[in-house]
This record gives sequence, C-alpha cells and structure tokens, in this order.
Amino acid sequence: MDDETFLRLKAFFPQVALTEQEEIHFKLLWSIKTFNQYDLITEAGNIERYFYFVLEGVQAIYILNEKGEKVVLGFSYSGSPSGAFDSFIKKQPSDTFLEALKPSKMLAISYEDYQSLFEKHQEFYVWGHEFFQKILFGRLHREVELLTLSAEQRYKTFMQRCPDELKVIPQKYLASYLNMKPETFSRLRSCTSY
Amino acid sequence: MASLIVTSENQIQRLNHIINKVKELQTLDASQLTTPPHAKSWNVVEVLEHLNIAYGIYMPRLDEAFTKMPTVDSGASEFKARAWQKFVIAGQRPKNGVRKWKMKTLKRFEPLLDKQSLTQEKIDAIFETFFTRHAHLKEAILKSRNKDVRQIKIISAIGPIVNFYLPECFEFLLCHLERHMVQIDEILG
Repeated sequence: MDDETFLRLKAFFPQVALTEQEEIHFKLLWSIKTFNQYDLITEAGNIERYFYFVLEGVQAIYILNEKGEKVVLGFSYSGSPSGAFDSFIKKQPSDTFLEALKPSKMLAISYEDYQSLFEKHQEFYVWGHEFFQKILFGRLHREVELLTLSAEQRYKTFMQRCPDELKVIPQKYLASYLNMKPETFSRLRSCTSY
Repeated sequence: MASLIVTSENQIQRLNHIINKVKELQTLDASQLTTPPHAKSWNVVEVLEHLNIAYGIYMPRLDEAFTKMPTVDSGASEFKARAWQKFVIAGQRPKNGVRKWKMKTLKRFEPLLDKQSLTQEKIDAIFETFFTRHAHLKEAILKSRNKDVRQIKIISAIGPIVNFYLPECFEFLLCHLERHMVQIDEILG
C-alpha cells in the first residue's frame, strides 16, 4: 500500500490516533483487492469475508426478489465503506450480492482483524459509534424518501446529492435504487433538471 | 404459459444454497448417509454420486463450449429459455418441496456403489468430488456472465433430443440438483 492510499485509509478513521508502531501493524491488516467490471465481489449464499474501504470504482449491493429481479439497496464508491456487512458480522450466508459496476480497487480487512482493532484500541469504538450512527441516519433518510417522495422528487433529490461517478453507471441500477422502472428513470433523466 | 427468464445471479444464489446444504450433510454420521429408508431407495451418498456422474458428463462439454464462445463487454443479462428446453427444465424442477414426474434413472447415471464397502474414506471422496465438480459449475456460471451465450449450444447428457444454450443448461442442472436435495430430505425424513 503506498503512502497516499494509507493516508486515505487513515482519514476514514479520524477518531483513531495510532503510534508509529501501531500504524505499521494497522497497515498490515489490509490487503488490496481488484475486481473487473461486473465481477461479483460477494455472492448471495456465501459468507462475506471482508469489510472493504473503496479506493476506486462503483459497487452495487442488491438482493433478488421473488421474480429473480435485482433490487438495489445501495452503492459504494471511492472513499466509502463496502461489503455485505450483516453477513460479515454474523458470519452467516449473505442475502445480498455485491457487484462491481466499474473496475474496482478496494482495501479489505478480515473479520478477525477487524475485531482485533476494537480489542486493541478503544478509539475504534468511538469511530464505530459515529460510523454506525451515520449509516443509520442515512438509511432512515432513504426510507423516508422512498415512502414519502414522488418518483420525480426521488430522482431530483438523489441526483443532487450523489457523486458524479455514480451518475455514469447503468441506468437500471439507479432506477432500481430509486424504486422506479428503468423507463421512468429514463424519462425523468431526459426532461428533469436538478 | 409464463416464460422462463433465467439470470446467472439467481443461479449462483441457488447453487451456493445447495453447496451449503451438502456441507451440512457432510457432518452427519456415516450410518445416516448410507442407510436408505427402504430397500428400493438410494441412500444419501448414492444421490450425491448420481449428481457427480451427471455433472461429470456436462463438465467437458461446458469446457469445450467456452473455448468457442466469444466474450462480450456488456455484463450478464437475462436469458429467456426456449419452449422445449423450458419443458425439459420444468420436468426436473421440484414444486413446493415435491418431486413431480418421477422417472426411472437411466443406466449411465446409476451410482452402482457397493453398499457393503462404503467406508468413511469412500464417503469423503464422494463429497470431495461433489464440491470440486460443483465449484466447476459455479465457475462456469460466473464465466458465462461475460460470454455471448447465444452463440454455442451443447448437447444434453440424454443426447441430441435436448440441446441447451448455457443458461438453459445451468438451469436444468440446478433444477436437477434441487430435485435431488428434496430426495435427500425425504431419505433423511
């Protein structure tokens, strides 16, 4: 891992201050994984082995509905965490798929090493508290948007806040995430400004 | 009749589920795995051996198909099974945990194990073959996701009366596996 990459990783844990020795150890816990476009990073039915920090690319997390259609639950992208987190923590087969929508480079840490961070450094609990709080608020916000906004409002709100790299993934994934048909998404894209 | 649309993700999810189930079976006592519920029935190990034989026929055909199949950049897409293939697949697929259309096994798919000499070593070997062969199937499904699957057909194990495009073949194999997982549940009671 080069210095720049390590700086990016450290910035993901701003609450944690490590000594030089601890930093060397911390760095060794992470490995770089690369994926081609459309690779399945995690398959439903398998146990998630890693917690990821995304360096490059966009990934979608989705579940298959009864008809076998993909229902997109979320995306990860440069600078964000990724993985089927429930499966990772519970060590149970994942219900969801994680797919690389663009060629992806990610830092990965195993379950045992992830747990060891909390055991060795109390500060990771502070990180965890803030991190999960942020995740929970994000999910609550999305739930409210899905249940209260019209398709057009959902489209506008999403396009205003989403990073540019997400705007170039196949439309069907964005449409599914916003709980609308690809045709509706396409129509909104051509006639709605945001 | 509704069309049968298959996707590689759905197939992978089902295959993982089956592999997890067989891993659980591996923890059972040899006596449970080798005792049939009645004289005419197979035991669990025989069912697995039958699945090994069946996939063993498809394995080289799939490998050969991949050598001729062009790559595409678009990623995996849905595939609509053709009518005759859909009918053949439906014949295998269990419905609500029940095996419909019970059929006699053709000689070439019979496990023919000597039940008296089914040692733990032999049982372990059958499980290992199951995992190796079905890891190959998983790899084949994954590989097919960026292949132009409409270019090559493969002949089914029962002969040229049924040919398959890859997604149809995978669906047939999965339904066949699911059918025999139901049978295993019946054997174990």
